[in-house]
Amino acid sequence: MKKVGLIILGVFMVLSLVACSNSGDSSSDGVIELTLWNDWTEDRPENTVYKEIIASFNEEHEDIRIKVESIPHDQYETKLRTQAAGKQLPDMMRVWPGARTAPLAEGGALLPLNSIIDHWEGLIPDAILQDYALDGNYYAIPSNISETSLIFYYKDLLQEVGFDEFPSTYVELKRLIQALNDKDITPIALGNKSIWPLQSVYISTIADRYTGSNFLKEALNGTGSFENEQFIKALSVIDELTKLNGFNEDMNTIDEAQSRSEFIKGETAMHFAGSWALGPIIGSVENLDNIGVAPFPTFEGGEGDPSKISGVAGGGIAVNSNLSDEEQEAAFTFLKYYYSDNLFEQLVQANIIVPADVKMDDSIPQVFRDANSYAQGGLSPVYDATLTPELTDMINNGLQSITLGEKTPEELAKEMQKELEKNK
Amino acid sequence: MHLTKKSKVAIIIGILPALFLYILFAIVPIIQSFYYSLMEWNGISDMTFIGFDNFKKLFQEPLFWSSVKNNIYVVIASVLGQIPIALFIALLLNRKLKGVRIFRTIGFLPVVLSTVVISLTWSLIYNSKNGMLNELLRTVGLDGLTQNWLGDTKWTMVAVLITIIWQFIGLYLIIFLAALQNVPEEVLEAAKMDGASEWVTTFKITIPMIWSTIIVAVILCISGSLKTFDLIYVMTNGGPAHSTEVMALYMFNETFSKLNYGYGSAVSVFIFFFSLILIFITTKLLKGKMI
Repeated sequence: MKKVGLIILGVFMVLSLVACSNSGDSSSDGVIELTLWNDWTEDRPENTVYKEIIASFNEEHEDIRIKVESIPHDQYETKLRTQAAGKQLPDMMRVWPGARTAPLAEGGALLPLNSIIDHWEGLIPDAILQDYALDGNYYAIPSNISETSLIFYYKDLLQEVGFDEFPSTYVELKRLIQALNDKDITPIALGNKSIWPLQSVYISTIADRYTGSNFLKEALNGTGSFENEQFIKALSVIDELTKLNGFNEDMNTIDEAQSRSEFIKGETAMHFAGSWALGPIIGSVENLDNIGVAPFPTFEGGEGDPSKISGVAGGGIAVNSNLSDEEQEAAFTFLKYYYSDNLFEQLVQANIIVPADVKMDDSIPQVFRDANSYAQGGLSPVYDATLTPELTDMINNGLQSITLGEKTPEELAKEMQKELEKNK
Repeated sequence: MHLTKKSKVAIIIGILPALFLYILFAIVPIIQSFYYSLMEWNGISDMTFIGFDNFKKLFQEPLFWSSVKNNIYVVIASVLGQIPIALFIALLLNRKLKGVRIFRTIGFLPVVLSTVVISLTWSLIYNSKNGMLNELLRTVGLDGLTQNWLGDTKWTMVAVLITIIWQFIGLYLIIFLAALQNVPEEVLEAAKMDGASEWVTTFKITIPMIWSTIIVAVILCISGSLKTFDLIYVMTNGGPAHSTEVMALYMFNETFSKLNYGYGSAVSVFIFFFSLILIFITTKLLKGKMI
C-alpha cells in the first residue's frame, strides 16, 4: 500500500510541475490586461515619452491595463522571432517596417489595422503609413521617422583645416578627409562591429545617390540586377573611404554607440549616423552651436535625386492576431490614444523626427531643425528595411569584408545577385 | 548496497520528476531538431518537407566549413591549452604551500565571472587604439608588435582562443585539485621510501591515479568547446568577416537572423553528431593509454 502511495506522490509531483507553467491572461476583476513588448530599455527622452503616455493611459482607463515589458534592442528582434516560432507572441509588440515585419505578417501572426486606420487620416500622410503596410493591410502606426543617413560634424575642426562649410560633393569630402588626416585628426567615427552601420547609414543613401530610388525594387523583382555598375560604384565608396583612412582604426571592434561617444568626446571630426543619434548628441555635447549636421554629398555621375535621404517610418506597435474580440477592442482603444498629437509634440521636444506635421517653438535646437528639414526632400529606401534577411546579412558582412580588403565591391555585388537568383 | 535493493521503487519515483524534466527539456527538443532539419521553415509560416536538402546545402556551404574549422581550433586550443596548464598548476598547488587558498581563489575567479564581463574586459584589453595589450607593447618599446587584435582577420582567432583558454583553466584546476587530494598519502610515501624522485612519482603514480579524472576533463573540454557561443558572440560576433564564426554562432545567425529554422536545425543536428563522434574517438584513444 505504501508503494502505491509513493507512486501517486511521484505522479502528483510531475503533474504539479506541468501545471505551474500555465497562467491566465486576464485577471479576475474584469480588467483586460495587455502585454506590450518594446525595446525602450535605454534611458532616452523618447523612451520616457512612450512610457509616460502609457502610464497616463492606464490611469485614465480603469478597465484596460497595458503591461510594458522592455527588452534590450540588440536582442529584441531575435526574441520576437523566436517567440513567433513558438507561437508565444505578446498581445502587442513594437515592430520595424518593411522586410523586418513581413515574415510576421505573412505568417498570420499580426492583426491588420485596416478597420481603424481612418482615425489617423489628416494627421499622418498615407505615404508614411505605407511603410508599415503589406499587400494593402496596415500592421502598425508609425510614431517617428528614422532618417538613417546624416553627417554630424564639428564646425571648428572643419574650419581648422580650411572648410567653412560642409562639402557638398564627394570629391570635396575626400579632400576634407585628406586634410583632417594631415592634421592627425581622425576624420569619421565608425563602429561597425555590429555590421549594420555601413549598410544602413552609408550604403542606403550612397547607393541611392548612384542608382536612383527604383533600383532596389527593380533588383528584387528581377528587372534590375545587383551587378549594376552604379551599385558597384556605391560599394566602392566604402572601399575608397577605408583606403583613405577615413575611419578610426578600431572600427570593426567597437559598436555603434561606442563610436558615437568617440565623436561626442571630440576625438573625431565627423560621425555618420541616423536621426537616432540626434538626442544623445544634443544631450551630451557641451557647445551645441559647434555641431553641424549635413546631408550626404552628391556623387558625380549618380542617377539618384541628391535631395533625398534614406529613411523609414518607425515606432510602430503591432497587435497579435490571436486576441479575443474584447482584447482587440482594448488594443484599438489603446492605439488611438497612444498615436496622437500629444505623442508627436512630445517626441519633437525629445528630438525625434515625427511623421506628423507639428508646430515647433524656439526651444528646438538648430541641429534638429536642419535634420528635420532633410526629410522634406523625400525618403529613399533603407536597405535592411527592404532586403530579405538573407541579403541584409550578406551585404552587412560583405561591406565589413570590403573594409578588410577581403572582398571587392564586384565580388559582393555578384554574390548578392547569385543569392537573389537562387530563390527564383 | 542492501538499501538500494530494498527500495528500488522509491528510487524510481525519486528520479521520476528529474527524468521527466530531462526528457521534456533535453530529449524532446533534440528529436524536434531532427524533425525540423528536414523542413523548409522560416519559423512562422507553414513548414514544407524537403528531405535532406538542408544537409545538402550545408555540405556545400563554404561559410559553414569555415565555422567548423574555427570550432576545431577552439577544441584543440582548449584541450591542449586548458588541460595541461590546469594540471600543471594543480600539481603545484597540491603541495603544502603558504597561501595556497589565495592562489586557488585567483585561479577559479574567471570561472565564476560572467562570460559577458570577460568578453567585454578582454575586448578592452585587445582594443587597438587604447587597449592594455598594445599600450604595454608600446611602453616596452615593442611598437612593431602592436596589432589590431580584434579587427584583423589574421589575429582575431588567436585573441579569442587565448581568452577562452584563460576563462576555463580555473574550472579544470579545481577538478584536478579535488582528484589529487584523493590520491592516498601512503602510496606517495611508499614511493618516496623506495627512492623515487618527485618527477617519477608525479608521472608514474600521481598522474596515472587521476587518469580517469583527466579523461572526464578532456571530454568536458571537447563538448564545451563545441558549444562555444557566448564569449565569441559578445567579443566579435563572429567577425570581422566571419573570421571567428563557430558552428553554434553560424547556427544562431542562420536560424534567428536569417529566419532559416529548418536549415539552422540541420546545423544543430550536425553539431550533435560531430560532438558524439569526436567524444567517442577521444575516449577510445585515452582509454587505451590508461593501462
